[in-house]
Amino acid sequence: MSSIDQALADLRAAFPARFAAAETEQALRDENAKILGKKGELTAILKEMGKLPNEERRATGEKVNLLKAEVEKGFEARLAELAKGKRDADLAAPPFDLTLPGRLALPRGHKHPISRVREDVVAIFRQMGFAVHDGPEIELETNNFERLGFPPDHPATDMQDSFWTEDFGGGRTLLRTHTSNIQARAMMGQKPPFAFIAPGAVFRRDDDVTHSPMFHQLEAFVVDRGVSMAHLRGVLSEFAVRLYGPDTPVRLRPSYFPFVEPGAEVDIGCAFCKRPDGTRAGCNVCKHTGWIEILGCGMIHPVVFEQCGIDPEEFTGFALGMGLERVAMLRYDVDDIRLFTENDPRFLEQF
Amino acid sequence: MKASYAFIRELLPALTASPRELSDAFTFAGLEVEGLSEFGAASVECVVVAVLSKRPHPTKDKLALVTVDLGEGKTQEVVCGAPNVPEPGGLVVLAPLGAHLPAAAGGKGMTMARRDVAGVPSEGMLCSESELGLSDSGEGILVLPANLADPGTRLSDAIPSSHDHVFEINVTANRPDALGHVGLAREAAALYDLPFAMPSLAAVLAETAGAAGGVIGDVVRIQVEDAAGCPHYGAAAITGVSVHASPLNVRYRLAALGVRSISNVVDVTNLAMLGYGHPMHAFDLDRLGGMIVVRRAKAGEKLATLDGVERTLDAGDLVIADAEKPIALAGVMGGATTEVHAGTTRVLFECAYFDPRSVRRSARRHGMHTEASHRFERGVDPGDVEEVLAHALATTRALAGGKALDGMLHVRADMPRPQPIKLQRVKMDRLLGVSHDWQAALSLLERLGCTVHGTATDDEAELRPPTHRPDLLRSVDLIEEVARVRGIDSIPAELPPIRASRDVGGREELEREVREAAVSLGLSEAVTFAFLSPEDLANAKAPPAFVGLKNPLAVTQSVMRTRLLPGLLQAVGRARRHGVKDARLFTIGRTYVAPDAAARAKEPVDPAGAWPVDERTSVAAVFVGERPSWLQKPESLDVWDVKGTALELVARATRGVWTATAERLDATVEGAAHLHPRGAARLMARGRQLGTFGPLHPDVLEAFDLTAPVFVLELDLEALRAPLEAADRVVYKPIPRFPASARDVAVVVKDDVLAGAVVDEARRAAGDLGQEVALFDRFTGGSIPEGHTSLALRVVYRAAARTLTDAEVDARHTEVTQALQRAFGGQLR
Ligand SMILES: [Zn+2]
Repeated sequence: MSSIDQALADLRAAFPARFAAAETEQALRDENAKILGKKGELTAILKEMGKLPNEERRATGEKVNLLKAEVEKGFEARLAELAKGKRDADLAAPPFDLTLPGRLALPRGHKHPISRVREDVVAIFRQMGFAVHDGPEIELETNNFERLGFPPDHPATDMQDSFWTEDFGGGRTLLRTHTSNIQARAMMGQKPPFAFIAPGAVFRRDDDVTHSPMFHQLEAFVVDRGVSMAHLRGVLSEFAVRLYGPDTPVRLRPSYFPFVEPGAEVDIGCAFCKRPDGTRAGCNVCKHTGWIEILGCGMIHPVVFEQCGIDPEEFTGFALGMGLERVAMLRYDVDDIRLFTENDPRFLEQF
Repeated sequence: MKASYAFIRELLPALTASPRELSDAFTFAGLEVEGLSEFGAASVECVVVAVLSKRPHPTKDKLALVTVDLGEGKTQEVVCGAPNVPEPGGLVVLAPLGAHLPAAAGGKGMTMARRDVAGVPSEGMLCSESELGLSDSGEGILVLPANLADPGTRLSDAIPSSHDHVFEINVTANRPDALGHVGLAREAAALYDLPFAMPSLAAVLAETAGAAGGVIGDVVRIQVEDAAGCPHYGAAAITGVSVHASPLNVRYRLAALGVRSISNVVDVTNLAMLGYGHPMHAFDLDRLGGMIVVRRAKAGEKLATLDGVERTLDAGDLVIADAEKPIALAGVMGGATTEVHAGTTRVLFECAYFDPRSVRRSARRHGMHTEASHRFERGVDPGDVEEVLAHALATTRALAGGKALDGMLHVRADMPRPQPIKLQRVKMDRLLGVSHDWQAALSLLERLGCTVHGTATDDEAELRPPTHRPDLLRSVDLIEEVARVRGIDSIPAELPPIRASRDVGGREELEREVREAAVSLGLSEAVTFAFLSPEDLANAKAPPAFVGLKNPLAVTQSVMRTRLLPGLLQAVGRARRHGVKDARLFTIGRTYVAPDAAARAKEPVDPAGAWPVDERTSVAAVFVGERPSWLQKPESLDVWDVKGTALELVARATRGVWTATAERLDATVEGAAHLHPRGAARLMARGRQLGTFGPLHPDVLEAFDLTAPVFVLELDLEALRAPLEAADRVVYKPIPRFPASARDVAVVVKDDVLAGAVVDEARRAAGDLGQEVALFDRFTGGSIPEGHTSLALRVVYRAAARTLTDAEVDARHTEVTQALQRAFGGQLR
């Protein structure tokens, strides 16, 4: 047996144990390099081959290649074994501490509860085909009162005690007391049909647990030929169902607002004590009546049409309006309206 | 207004509905009953007893043992601590065993049980008015007038008004008729389809003092100088009255309705007002000097009103005067000099119709809101003056004796009668969306007091409304009457066909986009008042207000804001004082500034009138505290946090269409004085300034009492409302098909070199192959020389049409590094 054959035999016998002894991927690669590397043992044997006679060289070359293939296979096998061992160890390692807080690059932002209600209500009316109009918060007296059928010095304006502005050279102006100024502006500027909502801030001289000097209203306004009180009721019922869920009844009580006739206040079946069978148990929110009042409404008064240049013989229509604070107070069980404008982060972050 | 169930039943004896039923009926007819309470509930359970004898308590000298007669031969001994137990024969009220007294024990209520008072058993109690819930005064037990009733009679039978049910009705401004019980009884009659008729007063009027008392026209003369302010002044007089306290039945009726009993004659006027809803006034005829003048006050004239206030009158005030001076503020309050007093024997009653607007102005001018002004402002019934006066005379005779003088005085101008209204069946059905029985509708209107004028057909009718319903002016008013009495709730529901239309203004959607964007960036929304104090604006170095309020609730809410920031800074200040250190708040709202005349000149004329001021929708945000960190020492927010939010807010609010840039801003220019000069910046896009951001100026921090650094951002949403341009869209660029190679370079530059300039230079030098240049490290100290900063950039190279070779990339990167050295004298690291 030539010395080369002996060397090959020794290497063949030794490498499996040497690979098995390597406990890490790096140690295995180092060991592999010691054998197959440029300065490795097999390479050294290969160099010895040059000294062999030609006829032996070919056979020996085949043996060397065979061994090389064997070593490579052994290396791959051990590599896979190590990887599997590592994976098994990883899988068997103790669980992560998932009680540690989660990581977020940004804190969570919160919409104001009034905005949440506003967006919901706007979306409902949009789905029913209403457009959205806006208008000025500082308004001419005429658009806030006269064109809406409020006679000057009438006690009806007591309901809407106004903030008047100092004169800045543009006639008598005030902070609008309702968003109904927008219906006056719409009718002055365009001809029917109308179907829009007007959400926005309004201002009245009131300040207590349920009244804020600035609050938000949303009014819906429909005018066309042949619009009836049944249509008003239809929109109210649809709105109630979409905001508070199926089987939400609507109840009308006659009331008075100068710009509508007939006018009514609207009670909606309490959403907070509804039982599975559709009846109401009564709760603190509805003061144990099963009903909550959230809207005022009515058929547009002919005087309003006349004031705004629309023929009441040709067109009829309705308006309905709600206070968004009231809807939010009921929905979120907020008992003091002032919380909405104090802006305490501990309040805002709850929504 | 408070209303008495018993009073309504007296006027409408046919009514059988219970108080609860009537309450619901009123509510669903538009007279909203907000409360229903029982007055004198104990009166039903307590009985009238007669004192038989009294003897001292064996051990307690303040107590007495009183034996009372319960009627039917029964007697009982009770312990009583009151000092006013009458002598034998006197009538008092006993709460027997088991009686419940809701008003007793300081309002907590008590049920009578056998009890032991200092060793003596007592089965019942002699009651005071306050224990019975009949008055607030608790001075001793109630002693009834002699012969009021037999012993054993229930108190509620002996004095009917001692037990009642009281409605609290929210009467809307259009229903003055419902401010009196006659009106409520008439309404109840209509609702329950019952006949209603007022008792005739003819007999009363016939029985006068006759010639002996004189004719009213001989004792007083009435002169109305302002017929517009007082279209009808009526007066009647009575002589020989005796002024004293009213009987209990009257006192309890008034008490149930929340009115204090004054004297029998004054109570007469209050009973008339509560009955007819028509206020009246009683003068001491002997103090009038024989003359009543209804006129406007002379500016500066004085009048001492009954509430003890001396008032200086305005030339617009309508007054009742004698020959020289005002003696009453018409329709609001009487004067002290002609007040009815204990010695009064001759009384002049006034019942008038005053112009509602005139009364309202006077009442407001003097800050008075009285039962009388409340009714006159809404319009009393001009048709019942004679009836009210007759009623007053009759009641006075019953309560105070005396004889009426012959005749009444009426000075009246032409009051327009209510005009007939044409009601068409088809219009009614069309407006309500439901068909009502026409004949039933007409008879319902008649029950409400309307009279059919001419002949009604099957399709239309003319109806004349009654004088007590000034709100019935047009056919819709009659239609509403039909709807409300028939039950407005019976109208069916039907969705209208809605014709599509466009938004006007467009702020709602923009605000929603901005709100979504801000919330997604970790900001929480605040809602702040549109008004604040002038100091708040000055403190925030904001422009002074353009609009002030004439009648603010407080100086802190006296002007309209020109910036949103003050409200947010106040919120942050409050939060910090409550121990909340981190706050990232934003608000969307309007600011109110002088109209931009040039911009308005280009706009079409608005037939409803131009907006009085320019209302600019803005968004503002404040940042204070620390950046979120994960299990590390938190770091304070800095100006780059607000910069990042500002740029991203614009991008997200415009759905990535607009890319904003930040530019340093000279803080001395208008609009940026509130910012710290080191960090003041403006936000630009499309060549327009959208807003500003930066750290708050220390002056502003101090003014708002803030100690930590605060960073602020303001954005003018009107700028984002600019019409979409052709370029306002996202344009797709093909995804690169060939790989990119990245190379880093670190350069040490002097501190005053701007990072942006270094990045720009690298981008320029990288030329067409440079796809992206990003600053990824900034470092000072350590081995970096004093006054210098190390900036590390990563340059990404890519060609659109081929894979770059390493050699190409290296060559270009060498150009970049050389360019940076040349431009900034930077040392490579
Ligand atoms: Zn409920």
